Amino acid sequence: MESNFDKKQNLKERLEFVRFYSRWVKSVPNEVWSKQQTDFINSLFENAVNYPFSPEKYLKSLKK
Amino acid sequence: MELEIEGKYIFLRNKVVSKLDLFVIDFIKILEKYTDYVIVSGYVSILFGRSRGTEDIDIFIEKMDFQTFKQLNDELRQKKYWFLNAENPLELYEMLNDKLAIRVAIQDTVIPNIEIKFTKNMIDRDSLQKHMEVKIDRESLNISPLEIQIPFKLYLGSDKDIEDAVYLYELFGEHLNKEKLKQYMDLLKVQGSNYGIEF
Repeated sequence: MESNFDKKQNLKERLEFVRFYSRWVKSVPNEVWSKQQTDFINSLFENAVNYPFSPEKYLKSLKK
Repeated sequence: MELEIEGKYIFLRNKVVSKLDLFVIDFIKILEKYTDYVIVSGYVSILFGRSRGTEDIDIFIEKMDFQTFKQLNDELRQKKYWFLNAENPLELYEMLNDKLAIRVAIQDTVIPNIEIKFTKNMIDRDSLQKHMEVKIDRESLNISPLEIQIPFKLYLGSDKDIEDAVYLYELFGEHLNKEKLKQYMDLLKVQGSNYGIEF
Protein backbone atom coordinates (compact mmCIF):
# COMPACT_ATOMS: atom_id res chain seq x y z
CA MET A 1 0.00 0.00 0.00
CA GLU A 2 1.32 3.44 -0.87
CA SER A 3 1.38 6.11 1.77
CA ASN A 4 1.24 9.86 1.30
CA PHE A 5 3.39 10.34 4.38
CA ASP A 6 6.32 12.60 3.49
CA LYS A 7 9.23 11.45 5.66
CA LYS A 8 11.52 14.27 4.54
CA GLN A 9 8.95 16.93 5.33
CA ASN A 10 8.20 15.27 8.66
CA LEU A 11 11.88 15.38 9.68
CA LYS A 12 12.11 19.02 8.55
CA GLU A 13 9.13 19.95 10.73
CA ARG A 14 10.47 18.01 13.69
CA LEU A 15 13.86 19.73 13.37
CA GLU A 16 12.11 23.09 13.36
CA PHE A 17 10.47 22.13 16.63
CA VAL A 18 13.83 20.93 18.06
CA ARG A 19 15.35 24.36 17.23
CA PHE A 20 12.39 26.19 18.73
CA TYR A 21 12.52 24.03 21.85
CA SER A 22 16.31 24.47 22.28
CA ARG A 23 15.86 28.26 22.09
CA TRP A 24 13.21 28.03 24.79
CA VAL A 25 15.42 25.81 27.02
CA LYS A 26 18.27 28.33 26.63
CA SER A 27 16.01 31.23 27.57
CA VAL A 28 14.67 29.95 30.91
CA PRO A 29 16.33 29.00 34.23
CA ASN A 30 17.26 25.35 34.78
CA GLU A 31 14.43 24.88 37.27
CA VAL A 32 11.87 25.73 34.60
CA TRP A 33 12.85 23.47 31.69
CA SER A 34 13.94 20.63 33.96
CA LYS A 35 10.67 20.68 35.94
CA GLN A 36 8.64 20.29 32.73
CA GLN A 37 10.99 17.66 31.35
CA THR A 38 11.01 15.75 34.64
CA ASP A 39 7.20 15.58 34.76
CA PHE A 40 7.23 14.12 31.25
CA ILE A 41 10.10 11.67 31.82
CA ASN A 42 8.81 10.52 35.22
CA SER A 43 5.48 9.59 33.68
CA LEU A 44 7.29 7.48 31.05
CA PHE A 45 9.47 5.97 33.78
CA GLU A 46 6.48 4.99 35.91
CA ASN A 47 4.79 3.48 32.89
CA ALA A 48 7.85 1.38 32.07
CA VAL A 49 7.03 -1.06 34.89
CA ASN A 50 4.03 -2.10 32.79
CA TYR A 51 6.32 -3.25 29.99
CA PRO A 52 4.91 -6.71 29.35
CA PHE A 53 7.89 -8.59 27.97
CA SER A 54 10.51 -10.82 29.53
CA PRO A 55 14.23 -9.98 29.06
CA GLU A 56 14.35 -12.69 26.37
CA LYS A 57 11.52 -11.15 24.37
CA TYR A 58 12.94 -7.66 24.84
CA LEU A 59 16.41 -8.69 23.59
CA LYS A 60 14.83 -10.49 20.64
CA SER A 61 12.86 -7.36 19.73
CA LEU A 62 16.13 -5.37 19.61
CA LYS A 63 17.57 -7.70 16.99
CA LYS A 64 14.65 -7.07 14.60
CA MET B 1 19.46 27.26 30.75
CA GLU B 2 22.16 28.36 33.08
CA LEU B 3 25.09 26.60 31.47
CA GLU B 4 28.55 27.08 32.90
CA ILE B 5 31.45 25.39 31.15
CA GLU B 6 34.93 25.41 32.66
CA GLY B 7 37.39 23.19 30.79
CA LYS B 8 36.05 19.65 30.97
CA TYR B 9 33.34 20.57 33.50
CA ILE B 10 29.76 21.50 32.67
CA PHE B 11 27.76 22.81 35.63
CA LEU B 12 23.99 22.23 35.54
CA ARG B 13 22.92 23.97 38.73
CA ASN B 14 19.40 23.73 40.14
CA LYS B 15 18.31 21.06 37.67
CA VAL B 16 15.19 19.21 38.79
CA VAL B 17 16.37 15.61 38.74
CA SER B 18 14.11 13.02 37.05
CA LYS B 19 13.67 9.38 38.00
CA LEU B 20 15.71 8.52 34.90
CA ASP B 21 18.55 10.77 36.13
CA LEU B 22 18.42 9.06 39.54
CA PHE B 23 18.48 5.63 37.89
CA VAL B 24 21.65 6.63 36.00
CA ILE B 25 23.31 8.35 38.98
CA ASP B 26 22.69 5.36 41.29
CA PHE B 27 24.12 2.94 38.74
CA ILE B 28 27.18 5.09 38.06
CA LYS B 29 27.98 5.26 41.78
CA ILE B 30 28.53 1.49 41.66
CA LEU B 31 30.16 1.28 38.23
CA GLU B 32 32.78 3.97 38.88
CA LYS B 33 34.21 2.00 41.79
CA TYR B 34 35.42 -0.57 39.25
CA THR B 35 36.22 1.22 36.01
CA ASP B 36 36.33 4.43 33.99
CA TYR B 37 33.17 5.02 32.03
CA VAL B 38 31.54 7.45 29.65
CA ILE B 39 27.87 7.95 28.83
CA VAL B 40 27.18 8.32 25.12
CA SER B 41 24.23 8.68 22.77
CA GLY B 42 20.61 9.56 23.63
CA TYR B 43 20.82 10.16 27.37
CA VAL B 44 23.37 12.94 26.79
CA SER B 45 20.79 15.05 24.98
CA ILE B 46 18.10 14.12 27.51
CA LEU B 47 20.39 15.22 30.35
CA PHE B 48 20.47 18.67 28.75
CA GLY B 49 16.73 18.93 28.38
CA ARG B 50 15.67 17.15 25.21
CA SER B 51 12.02 16.21 25.66
CA ARG B 52 12.00 12.54 24.84
CA GLY B 53 12.18 9.23 26.63
CA THR B 54 14.65 6.43 26.16
CA GLU B 55 14.64 2.77 26.97
CA ASP B 56 18.38 2.46 27.42
CA ILE B 57 21.44 4.40 28.50
CA ASP B 58 24.58 3.63 26.52
CA ILE B 59 27.87 3.43 28.38
CA PHE B 60 31.39 2.62 27.24
CA ILE B 61 33.82 1.24 29.79
CA GLU B 62 37.52 0.50 29.71
CA LYS B 63 38.37 -3.15 29.24
CA MET B 64 38.71 -4.86 32.64
CA ASP B 65 39.86 -8.27 33.82
CA PHE B 66 37.37 -10.96 34.74
CA GLN B 67 38.03 -10.69 38.46
CA THR B 68 37.09 -7.00 38.48
CA PHE B 69 34.04 -7.68 36.34
CA LYS B 70 32.98 -10.43 38.74
CA GLN B 71 33.17 -7.98 41.66
CA LEU B 72 31.06 -5.45 39.75
CA ASN B 73 28.58 -8.20 38.87
CA ASP B 74 28.36 -9.28 42.52
CA GLU B 75 27.77 -5.79 43.85
CA LEU B 76 25.12 -5.05 41.23
CA ARG B 77 23.23 -8.25 42.03
CA GLN B 78 23.50 -7.56 45.73
CA LYS B 79 21.96 -4.13 45.14
CA LYS B 80 18.97 -5.61 43.29
CA TYR B 81 20.04 -5.20 39.69
CA TRP B 82 19.96 -8.00 37.16
CA PHE B 83 21.55 -8.64 33.78
CA LEU B 84 19.12 -9.16 30.92
CA ASN B 85 21.46 -11.22 28.71
CA ALA B 86 22.70 -14.00 30.94
CA GLU B 87 22.97 -15.18 34.52
CA ASN B 88 26.54 -16.40 34.44
CA PRO B 89 29.19 -13.64 34.95
CA LEU B 90 31.71 -15.47 32.77
CA GLU B 91 29.21 -15.62 29.92
CA LEU B 92 28.55 -11.88 30.33
CA TYR B 93 32.27 -11.12 30.39
CA GLU B 94 32.80 -13.15 27.22
CA MET B 95 30.04 -11.16 25.53
CA LEU B 96 31.86 -7.93 26.39
CA ASN B 97 35.10 -9.35 25.05
CA ASP B 98 33.30 -10.33 21.85
CA LYS B 99 32.39 -6.63 21.40
CA LEU B 100 28.77 -7.26 22.34
CA ALA B 101 26.70 -5.18 24.71
CA ILE B 102 25.33 -6.40 28.01
CA ARG B 103 22.27 -4.86 29.63
CA VAL B 104 21.57 -4.15 33.29
CA ALA B 105 18.22 -3.16 34.80
CA ILE B 106 16.62 -3.02 38.20
CA GLN B 107 15.64 -6.54 39.14
CA ASP B 108 12.36 -7.73 37.57
CA THR B 109 12.21 -4.77 35.20
CA VAL B 110 13.45 -4.48 31.63
CA ILE B 111 13.06 -0.76 30.85
CA PRO B 112 14.97 1.42 31.41
CA ASN B 113 18.23 -0.47 31.19
CA ILE B 114 21.92 0.34 30.97
CA GLU B 115 23.74 -0.93 27.89
CA ILE B 116 27.43 -1.48 28.60
CA LYS B 117 30.17 -2.08 26.05
CA PHE B 118 33.95 -2.19 26.15
CA THR B 119 35.52 0.51 23.99
CA LYS B 120 36.38 -1.03 20.64
CA ASN B 121 37.77 1.67 18.36
CA MET B 122 39.55 5.02 18.39
CA ILE B 123 36.37 7.07 18.60
CA ASP B 124 35.05 5.05 21.56
CA ARG B 125 38.40 5.47 23.32
CA ASP B 126 38.48 9.21 22.58
CA SER B 127 34.96 9.49 24.05
CA LEU B 128 36.18 7.79 27.21
CA GLN B 129 39.58 9.45 27.58
CA LYS B 130 38.50 12.97 26.61
CA HIS B 131 35.15 12.83 28.42
CA MET B 132 33.44 15.86 29.91
CA GLU B 133 32.07 15.88 33.44
CA VAL B 134 28.59 17.18 34.13
CA LYS B 135 28.09 18.48 37.66
CA ILE B 136 24.49 18.38 38.83
CA ASP B 137 24.75 19.97 42.24
CA ARG B 138 26.58 17.27 44.25
CA GLU B 139 26.33 14.55 41.61
CA SER B 140 28.65 14.03 38.68
CA LEU B 141 28.37 12.17 35.34
CA ASN B 142 30.97 11.58 32.62
CA ILE B 143 29.67 12.23 29.12
CA SER B 144 31.20 12.00 25.69
CA PRO B 145 32.69 15.26 24.34
CA LEU B 146 29.95 17.06 22.41
CA GLU B 147 32.29 17.38 19.41
CA ILE B 148 32.20 13.56 19.20
CA GLN B 149 28.60 13.15 20.26
CA ILE B 150 27.13 15.33 17.49
CA PRO B 151 28.96 13.62 14.58
CA PHE B 152 28.28 10.20 16.14
CA LYS B 153 24.55 10.94 16.23
CA LEU B 154 24.65 12.04 12.59
CA TYR B 155 26.52 8.83 11.80
CA LEU B 156 23.79 6.71 13.46
CA GLY B 157 21.41 8.56 11.18
CA SER B 158 17.86 7.79 12.33
CA ASP B 159 15.44 10.74 12.61
CA LYS B 160 15.73 10.56 16.40
CA ASP B 161 19.55 10.63 16.22
CA ILE B 162 19.58 13.59 13.82
CA GLU B 163 17.19 15.46 16.13
CA ASP B 164 19.53 14.77 19.07
CA ALA B 165 22.52 16.06 17.07
CA VAL B 166 20.69 19.25 16.05
CA TYR B 167 19.46 19.80 19.62
CA LEU B 168 22.99 19.60 21.08
CA TYR B 169 24.41 21.75 18.28
CA GLU B 170 21.78 24.46 18.83
CA LEU B 171 22.12 24.33 22.60
CA PHE B 172 25.91 24.43 22.85
CA GLY B 173 26.55 26.51 19.69
CA GLU B 174 29.30 28.95 20.63
CA HIS B 175 30.79 26.61 23.24
CA LEU B 176 31.67 23.95 20.66
CA ASN B 177 35.19 23.60 19.37
CA LYS B 178 34.44 23.81 15.65
CA GLU B 179 37.85 22.47 14.62
CA LYS B 180 37.39 19.39 16.78
CA LEU B 181 33.82 18.99 15.53
CA LYS B 182 35.01 19.05 11.93
CA GLN B 183 37.76 16.56 12.73
CA TYR B 184 35.26 13.97 14.03
CA MET B 185 32.76 14.71 11.28
CA ASP B 186 35.50 13.98 8.74
CA LEU B 187 36.55 10.84 10.62
CA LEU B 188 33.00 9.51 10.62
CA LYS B 189 32.39 10.79 7.08
CA VAL B 190 29.22 12.66 8.00
CA GLN B 191 27.89 16.03 6.94
CA GLY B 192 25.55 18.26 8.85
CA SER B 193 24.83 21.02 6.35
CA ASN B 194 21.42 19.54 5.46
CA TYR B 195 20.44 20.02 9.09
CA GLY B 196 22.00 23.41 9.73
CA ILE B 197 25.15 21.96 11.33
CA GLU B 198 27.79 23.90 9.47
CA PHE B 199 30.74 26.10 10.27
